[in-house]
Amino acid sequence: MRKIINKTIAIALLCSLPLAYGCKDFLDIDPLYTQDSENFFQTPVDYDRALIGAYDLLQGSFINLWIGEIASDNALAGGEGVTDTEGLHQIENMSHDAVNNELRNVFRWNYAGVTRANFLLENQNNIDFEGKDVIIAEAKFLRAYYYFQLVKYFGDVPLLVDKRIGAEEVTKIDRTPKSEVYNQIESDLNAAAQVLDWTRQVKGKVTKGAALSLLGKVYLYQNKFDLAKNTLDLVINEGPYDLIDNFNNLFKVSNEGHKEVVFDIQFSGAEGGSYDCFICLEGNAAVGYHGIKNYNGPVYGDGNSYNLPTQDLYDVFEDDDIRREATILDLADFISKQPKPDEIEFFQAAGHTGYYNHKYIKRKGEIGLPDNDLTSPLNLIVIRFSDVLLMAAEAHMRSVTKNESLAQTYLNRVRDRVKMPELNNGGDQLLEDIWAERRLELSMEGQRFFDLVRTGKAATEITGFQTGKHEVFPIPQVEIDLAGGNWTQNNNY
Amino acid sequence: MVKKILNLILFLGLSFLSVAQTTTVTGTVKDTTGQIVIGAAVVVKGTNNGKITNENGAFSLNIQDPKTAILQVSYSGYKTNEVAVNGGKNIEIVLRENSLGLSEVMVVGYGTSTKKEFTGANSKVDGEDLQKLNIPRFDQALQGQVSGVNISTNSGSPGGGASIRIRGLSTFGDNDPLILVDGVVFDAAGLNSLNPDDIASVNVLKDATAGIYGVRAANGVILIETKKGKRNSKPSISISSYFGVQSTSRKLDLLNATEYATLKNEMFANGGDDVPFSNVNLGEGTDWQAEVFQNAPIQSHNITISGGSEKTTYSIGGSYFTQDGIVGLDKSNFTRMNARVNLSTQMSDKLRLTSVFLYTKEQRSTLRENQIGSVLYNTVNAFPTDSVRTSDGRYSYLEEVSDIINPIAQMENTFNEANVNKFVGKEELAYDITDNLTFTNRLSYNYAIVDDKVFSPLVWYGPGKAPNTALNEDLDPTSVEIAPGTSVDRGASVYEQRASYSDLNFESFLNHEVRIKSLHRIKTTAGLSVFTRNGQAVNGTAYNIPNNDLEFADISANLAPGGYLNNTGSFQFQERLLSTFIRGEYGYGSRFNGSFILRRDGSSKFGPNNRYGIFPTVSGSWVISEEKNYAIDRMKFLKLRVSYGISGNDQIDNFAYRGLLNGEGHYVFDDIITQGVAIGRASNPDLKWETTRQFNIGTDFTFLHSFDVTMNYFIKNTRDLLFQPEVSAVLGTYGAGSFPPFINAGDVSNKGFELEVGYKTKSSKIWNLSTGLNATFIRNKVIKTPKGVDFLPGASFGVGGGTATRFQEGYAIGYFIGYETDGIFQSQEEIDNSPVVQEGAKPGDLRYKDINNDGKISFSDDSDKTQIGTPIPKVTLGFNVKVDYKGIDLSGNLFASLGQQIVRNYERQQPYANQLAYNINRWTADNPSQEYHRLTTDLTRNTVFSDFYVENGSFLRLRNLQLGYTFNPLLLKKAKIQSARVYISANNLLTITQYQGFDPDIGSSGGTLAAGIDYGFYPQARTLMTGLSIKF
Repeated sequence: MRKIINKTIAIALLCSLPLAYGCKDFLDIDPLYTQDSENFFQTPVDYDRALIGAYDLLQGSFINLWIGEIASDNALAGGEGVTDTEGLHQIENMSHDAVNNELRNVFRWNYAGVTRANFLLENQNNIDFEGKDVIIAEAKFLRAYYYFQLVKYFGDVPLLVDKRIGAEEVTKIDRTPKSEVYNQIESDLNAAAQVLDWTRQVKGKVTKGAALSLLGKVYLYQNKFDLAKNTLDLVINEGPYDLIDNFNNLFKVSNEGHKEVVFDIQFSGAEGGSYDCFICLEGNAAVGYHGIKNYNGPVYGDGNSYNLPTQDLYDVFEDDDIRREATILDLADFISKQPKPDEIEFFQAAGHTGYYNHKYIKRKGEIGLPDNDLTSPLNLIVIRFSDVLLMAAEAHMRSVTKNESLAQTYLNRVRDRVKMPELNNGGDQLLEDIWAERRLELSMEGQRFFDLVRTGKAATEITGFQTGKHEVFPIPQVEIDLAGGNWTQNNNY
Repeated sequence: MVKKILNLILFLGLSFLSVAQTTTVTGTVKDTTGQIVIGAAVVVKGTNNGKITNENGAFSLNIQDPKTAILQVSYSGYKTNEVAVNGGKNIEIVLRENSLGLSEVMVVGYGTSTKKEFTGANSKVDGEDLQKLNIPRFDQALQGQVSGVNISTNSGSPGGGASIRIRGLSTFGDNDPLILVDGVVFDAAGLNSLNPDDIASVNVLKDATAGIYGVRAANGVILIETKKGKRNSKPSISISSYFGVQSTSRKLDLLNATEYATLKNEMFANGGDDVPFSNVNLGEGTDWQAEVFQNAPIQSHNITISGGSEKTTYSIGGSYFTQDGIVGLDKSNFTRMNARVNLSTQMSDKLRLTSVFLYTKEQRSTLRENQIGSVLYNTVNAFPTDSVRTSDGRYSYLEEVSDIINPIAQMENTFNEANVNKFVGKEELAYDITDNLTFTNRLSYNYAIVDDKVFSPLVWYGPGKAPNTALNEDLDPTSVEIAPGTSVDRGASVYEQRASYSDLNFESFLNHEVRIKSLHRIKTTAGLSVFTRNGQAVNGTAYNIPNNDLEFADISANLAPGGYLNNTGSFQFQERLLSTFIRGEYGYGSRFNGSFILRRDGSSKFGPNNRYGIFPTVSGSWVISEEKNYAIDRMKFLKLRVSYGISGNDQIDNFAYRGLLNGEGHYVFDDIITQGVAIGRASNPDLKWETTRQFNIGTDFTFLHSFDVTMNYFIKNTRDLLFQPEVSAVLGTYGAGSFPPFINAGDVSNKGFELEVGYKTKSSKIWNLSTGLNATFIRNKVIKTPKGVDFLPGASFGVGGGTATRFQEGYAIGYFIGYETDGIFQSQEEIDNSPVVQEGAKPGDLRYKDINNDGKISFSDDSDKTQIGTPIPKVTLGFNVKVDYKGIDLSGNLFASLGQQIVRNYERQQPYANQLAYNINRWTADNPSQEYHRLTTDLTRNTVFSDFYVENGSFLRLRNLQLGYTFNPLLLKKAKIQSARVYISANNLLTITQYQGFDPDIGSSGGTLAAGIDYGFYPQARTLMTGLSIKF
């Protein structure tokens, strides 16, 4: 009996021993074929791939096309009704508050961009190789772009440079004063501009011109006019840019990368998309959404009737300004000119203006893979040369040492292209002319709201705009909570 | 088989201790039908002297004092009988079946127990009770059978699954219980491969005594035993078949063409638009539901051969089952074929082999269901004024709403098929080291090959429709730019995937049982378990399938120029579990039982910091009715049980503790999508499992000899919920393919009461009645959310609409949050005089309640939103009844789920979409409705998520009604047929509910927080069947 028991114990032990011995190793398995974030940046290719990841978030800027216009006097939110992307309707009415999905997306996506750039930059000294300086310069440009979006929308935002933080640490940091964030943006853009070339072999890579123009814009937003004019003059004088002849060809897939493009965000129609994840898209969702609801007819594609130009915008154009038609699609007028107008179908919801964003609109022949509301291949031009000219003109007029004639030259260069008569006013009127020209030239490109705020005209132009409140958007309440509740909200929200 | 072995062990142990030798008494043990009983225990009362009956039902005992000795004869499933020897030498003893099943052996995890001795809360179901329902999936058949288990259907489509929730929702992650079939792990998702006809019994462990399964026991454990053969029995062949016809149990009450045109005209006129219909007298128009729903066949055939020799038992089965869908017929078909071999053999006196093998082949084809864009969603919203086909023969386009497509065309163009080949089995060797010590080693495996194929032909549903894959009506392909200036056509495509999954589980354990002076019983179980799971798949998509035809839908047939468009993918994963466990059970007489369980689990799902966990459980029971001075005649049996323990849930993604570079970093360079890397999910090295602490107090008693009652009260608290909460954007985890880390935070509590009552008339020859009632009351509440997280948003309402469900402290999981309505504004005057400002309101609009009393309805934040429903039922009830009269039997099964709500989310809020008939009673100036708002194309706030869209989801359903006839065995004897029964049966014959949708029995197909949201649910069919079962 005892023998048997002893034998049993021996067997049991023998069976379990290898297991017990191998215990630790047995459970210590690694995921297959996957790289860990902590042992990356071993080869130049690793840097290149991390940089692509940082570029990815640029595509989230499609939402800026909406908010930058809908918040202004230029456009309505549109869509099916007030619950269709509700956040945009609130922004349209200046009733937006700290609970707003669209603003939260802006906050999240730009910080994701910052983080991906920081991930690369915190590892910039791991290895050395030829061409690393260009990769670092691009990463710095991207970080500067994302931070500029954040300060434009939210004012003071937490500044993280060359590092990432965890959920605990975030409760210990505060919002960084806007001026410090701007300092970092300027420093990153200056560093980028020194390394980058005016032209790149690969379409879509950022250039010296992009860095300098963005820097000029950043100076302008801070009212640093001397720095702005010097920087922008450099772009005008030394850069490879020029205005293209036909204003109507600015926003066409077939004409992408033309000489007026200083910085554009690349999109492709070669990957399908899902409504579950807008930031995963490779297509330009804004373009599909700008399409006409249930439209069935020539030239255009159907969409969701978002971001609709207002009558107010339509009315500011002179009748002979070709930019009116290039900026605003008057659908009824268009249909009436078609050979078979009766066969064209579309749906116009109550409260819609009948006008559509004609710069970024879904056109036949520019359609991505299904669902093509999400997959437009049309690039988003963030800075084009006429913007640089108008920014430079403004900087020269607002600088301590005004240069009226140069400002006039720049302004009229923009007007000449669209065959509008030259304006030769001086003084304050010239500045007003430049600002008015910005609206005529750049409307429906996502700039209007920020221009109005920057120039102090928002309160007079935007219904419901409260000075001292609406210059910036509220920090999403949930972000304040998730950061430990210590951040103060923007004034009056 | 198992029962016999146990008895063998027990009594060999006892006889080992016996010594003296006097008179030899022999005898046989039979049951009431005269059949011999093999393996019955015969013990001389008050001694350890005993034997078990041999293959002839005979025993032989040496008895010291044959005149006064009393023999105690027991066998599981029978009442213990006491017979005086009275000096006799050859005694015949008759055992009566124990209707209460108190001593019936049940599997409880690495061992067995009886209802009398078991200290935990469990519910047991006989396989027969499930088979009788003719429901193809085990989980659906289990609905309403036991208390504490809430089963709701995720889809009524053939092969569609169900949610099994034991004692409420305790996590918003994986709430599925651990399911073991003959000890082999089955996924809830893999239940399609289990044929309910093969099930011998089901035992649901609900309380902490499930803790023997440690880190996977928090959601409860379901133990399924399949049919086994009997020793010393001739081969017995059972054949059963049924055929049936299914139809939809319900159609929605939608507007017909005339009503539609009338209401749409009013809607457009109210919005200041031109009316769309110049003539509204359009008759009935197209009844899209009549076009979509069809009668569909269902059939099932089973054969089982079982029996055994002296040393071996076997049960071999085969089955074929096929079911077409009431939507789409063979486009939503499920077919299952399986073969099963259960074999058990006594290899030597001490060594037994148990072998289980199951092969299943499943085929399932599916349509889009239960989501926006599903076939039924399109059906409900399609316009009755459009015909299915136009006069020139093509499918109509339903052009006015871009996201609604012709559902008939949609079904025709869907080719979505999955094929599963699955091998499940177990080899178990049990060695009796001594008479009361058994060493068991077993290896179980579950290997599945899953082949998916999706063919996407070029289709055109009409201009601007999102699911179009063609460029135009002529089905020209779209073109894709593959390099600057170079485009290729993108034609029909086929996606194929082959995945294989394998589980291997080695378990080794010792069972020891000892009796000390017949008063003390000590059972000990100790063992270890090693579990590995691997999966890998490769897949590919190929374009330009010739002729746009399914016939060529294989990757090899593709004609994609240069293969540029084709793409491939793969995935693989592995996970491991290493566990040791020990259980001690102590029994004092027949009154007290106590049990202690300790399990230590190591899981590869967690990082080195928190890889191991220890899960203890204590439980005890007291059979009050065995007390000496117990004198309640009406309650023959009375038992009290208490248990408390901790168990775990590790069901999260693999490697969630690590930060991996599996995010999506794609950008377009040179017009080509270029792949980079990005951080995927952020890491949390301290991640650990959820722990559930459960307290249970319960009682089992028999009342008036015929009522068998079980009651339980439980408190189940889950801590450290595996949470993927929102984190600060500053962490940067919201890019494409990036996610916040998993963390442990949040507590959920479930409290509930369960009742089961069974009633059986005493066996009589003419008629029999048996009924069972079970009821479950559960209160679910979120106790805590992580710091800084007020709530976790769940499913959204409508298209592009706001959040409708939440996980929030103080509320049930997934409760509905929205605006509360307060009737309808009747006039402008009422709006103007209202103390609450509701921006944009016009007469006929819904009037909302000002929840925060600030004098206005706030639509730009959540301040006026409140709880407007919960998907969790307050009570679920099951009721079974069976009556036999001579050869005729009638049985019914009722299920009720009460107190939950459902969100009506299948209405497309678009001007042209069809609507439910309640809109006929809409508010107009002449019809001052307080319930249904006005119709207009104007912008209103009537479409925000409010209680207007929340309906009472309570229902009572007659799940099965069956009438059978069993032929007189005497008549069949000549044909050598043992028994034969024919029946007619109906499933889902009747549902009583106020819910307007297709089916109120709606689970969750989109995670825990999407429960109770109806997107156009594929309803369970009403099935009329006729069947036959014969036993040779």
